[in-house]
Amino acid sequence: MSLNRSFFVPIDSPLHRLNPLTKLTFVFAMIISAFLSVPDMAPALAVLVLLTGFIGKVQRQYRTVLLKLILPAILFMFVMQSVFLPGGETILIQVGRFDVARENVRAAFLTVSRVFVMVSSFAILLLTTHPSKLMADLTRRGLPPQLAYVIISTLQILPQMQAKAQTILSAQRSRGLDTESTFLKRVRAIVPLVGPLVFGSLVEVEERAIAIEARGFTSPRAKTFLYEVPDTRADRLIRWTLVIFTLLSLAARIWLS
Amino acid sequence: MRIEIKDLHFTYPSGVQALRGISLTIESGEQVAIIGQNGAGKTTLARHLNGLLQPTSGEVRIGYWDTRRYSTAKLAARVGYVFQNPDEQLFSRDVHMEVAFGPKNLGYPKERVEALVSEALEMTDLLQKRETNPYDLSPTWRKMVAIASVIAMDTPIVIFDEPTTGQDAATIERIANVIRVLRERGKTILTITHDMDFCAENFERVIVMSQGQVLLDGKANDVLGQEEILATTYVEPPQLTRLGKRLGFKETVRNEEEFLTALQKRWRI
Amino acid sequence: MAIVNLHNVTYKYPLTETPALQNVNLRVKEGEFVAIIGRNGAGKSTLCYTLAGFVPHFFKGELTGSVEVAGMDASKSHLHEWVLNVGLVFQNPFNQISGAKYTVFEEIAFGLENIGVPRDEMKVRVEEAMRLTGISDLADRSPYSLSGGQQQRVALTSILVMQPKVLVLDEPTSQLDPIGAREVFGVIRTMAEQGMTVVLAEHKVEWIARFADRVVALHEGKIILDGTPREVLTSDLLLDKGFGISRYTSAARKARELGLWRQEQLPVTLEEAAEGFALTPNASPKRRCESK
Repeated sequence: MSLNRSFFVPIDSPLHRLNPLTKLTFVFAMIISAFLSVPDMAPALAVLVLLTGFIGKVQRQYRTVLLKLILPAILFMFVMQSVFLPGGETILIQVGRFDVARENVRAAFLTVSRVFVMVSSFAILLLTTHPSKLMADLTRRGLPPQLAYVIISTLQILPQMQAKAQTILSAQRSRGLDTESTFLKRVRAIVPLVGPLVFGSLVEVEERAIAIEARGFTSPRAKTFLYEVPDTRADRLIRWTLVIFTLLSLAARIWLS
Repeated sequence: MRIEIKDLHFTYPSGVQALRGISLTIESGEQVAIIGQNGAGKTTLARHLNGLLQPTSGEVRIGYWDTRRYSTAKLAARVGYVFQNPDEQLFSRDVHMEVAFGPKNLGYPKERVEALVSEALEMTDLLQKRETNPYDLSPTWRKMVAIASVIAMDTPIVIFDEPTTGQDAATIERIANVIRVLRERGKTILTITHDMDFCAENFERVIVMSQGQVLLDGKANDVLGQEEILATTYVEPPQLTRLGKRLGFKETVRNEEEFLTALQKRWRI
Repeated sequence: MAIVNLHNVTYKYPLTETPALQNVNLRVKEGEFVAIIGRNGAGKSTLCYTLAGFVPHFFKGELTGSVEVAGMDASKSHLHEWVLNVGLVFQNPFNQISGAKYTVFEEIAFGLENIGVPRDEMKVRVEEAMRLTGISDLADRSPYSLSGGQQQRVALTSILVMQPKVLVLDEPTSQLDPIGAREVFGVIRTMAEQGMTVVLAEHKVEWIARFADRVVALHEGKIILDGTPREVLTSDLLLDKGFGISRYTSAARKARELGLWRQEQLPVTLEEAAEGFALTPNASPKRRCESK
């Protein structure tokens, strides 16, 4: 059990000091450019995102997320795309009945880069942004508090869900559920595992709704915030740069394709 | 079936030393309560008995089975484990199916599954509710479904993790009754509990844990009378035990019968 | 003056047939500490939700009769006005954590942010509330890293910081170990001593007997007993209806049959029991009572 079950790493870095909206703009600029730009900048952007992790001094925590979450997913995607995609002329190797074509490997590499940019930039946002400050800043700028709450609490609660899933797995294995041997048995084990997770969440959602209501969440009074979240000239400068960068990559797509 | 624990140590991946040298033997047919403050290692110990956790060092044997050699799904045939929160295991459309899940997993023949399910439902007063969806039942009854779903597995050993938490007196009595029936059938029962009165009234042997070690282990009366030692793990003796001490009884009493006998002895001699 | 006034309250949840509360009449004086006992499903939680305004505003359903709490009327007031005057703490400490905050300090400030308390005042109030409940040292911890007892104290502090006139607690210690429970009861008792009106639904009879001014027994949605802890908790009616009673009371009841309990009243606390059982069975119970 980790002591701090949240993504945020409470240290100080240039990235931590940035306004949350600036980092959010960065995330969206990276994603839009990675998915839409022509020529494809996704691999270059992936390197850029990696570098920001160092600026935020969260490379160690990011590496954990990378190894546990991102890499397994994109490796799987990479293999599926390069092996199973039909077409392609230059055959590199053969895997069983499947031909692996150079074109497909290239396409797979680009897709994987895009996903990498998307997930990694989000991860770095979460690792370097205080959840309460993110919520305060977005609400102050006019995002409906309900929506801000849903976003933040979902992120906070993900690690809890994982712990809960583990308990359910233990409970069902104690009832003789075989989750380890054959593939078929694993598939059959899904309902007993997911059922309690979903139901438990429904109960939790209602209780949590009562709990936050009891603390005046829907009060019509103007909200105040515990933290002042600074928004500096540098923040605005970075945001505009990112917006212009995104517009340029969009423009490039329209003209070049 | 005998439980044998030899010099068991367990350290969580986070580095927390949860168990620090536990050695215990629980004979077939014993009823044992494990008490102690939160974080004392009670649940960690119980989870070793069906292989949910593996010893960092030392060993746990269930019958002759070393828990390191058998999966939890296999050990489930010997050790039933009722988790604290029923909502972390219920998933079926109706109570009957839910209770049949365990015995089916164990591969019992159909007739035996049916017989065990009916018996378990009867023991838990659930016969009338067998066709209800577990989630339409109150949390109290969901708890009984969870208990039924484990006793239907007919394992020689049954573990209860805080069965009385949040329950009313009537439900606690119902659970005590289940434990009585299991005792008559010669089952070995281990119960983790914070409810000292429940512990005193239903268990012959009590193990007190503190900081990953066994602090006290013995006959209920001997253990529950040790007010000072219990206080170190933040446990208070049962109500009547405290009253008996306050009245200056020489012997430790733990239930109404013992209390009244001691009271009679005091005034009539 | 009555701060809570329920008159002929009957309530049905949506999609249910039988009312969860039937003809409930309850008046609570300002500063009183009232405990509600009852079996699971007797309507304790529903009564708590009614006092806290969640019935009918959150759960909808059908409510008849009148509900007045802290000068508000259920038929006229909104829930957001209600929560300014009445605080609600319930069973599961985990689900009462907002999930939107990173530290305990922020968690407790959440309610004050929502109702627009200025930043400087907010900090002062949070610190004060944490001192009151003895959790100042947890300020920088994540609410999720705490034990159940600590989490429940955080939940309680998060409500107390909003300075409600009435505090409603629905089995706030049922998920806690004896230490956690004792910590929470300690805080509740302090609040009551400081003059806050407290309504507590609870199974742990021994604690109720020690702390409450008054006990209300609820059975199948109806109030069947209402009086001092000793009157209510020793009533034969509780036995018939399957309520939990303290071991002191039941042992004394049996002892009375054996002629070993000579006081007129049965005990509900350890002290009362010790005193009563210490009397020699030959002593006259009458005189003993008068001298008290």
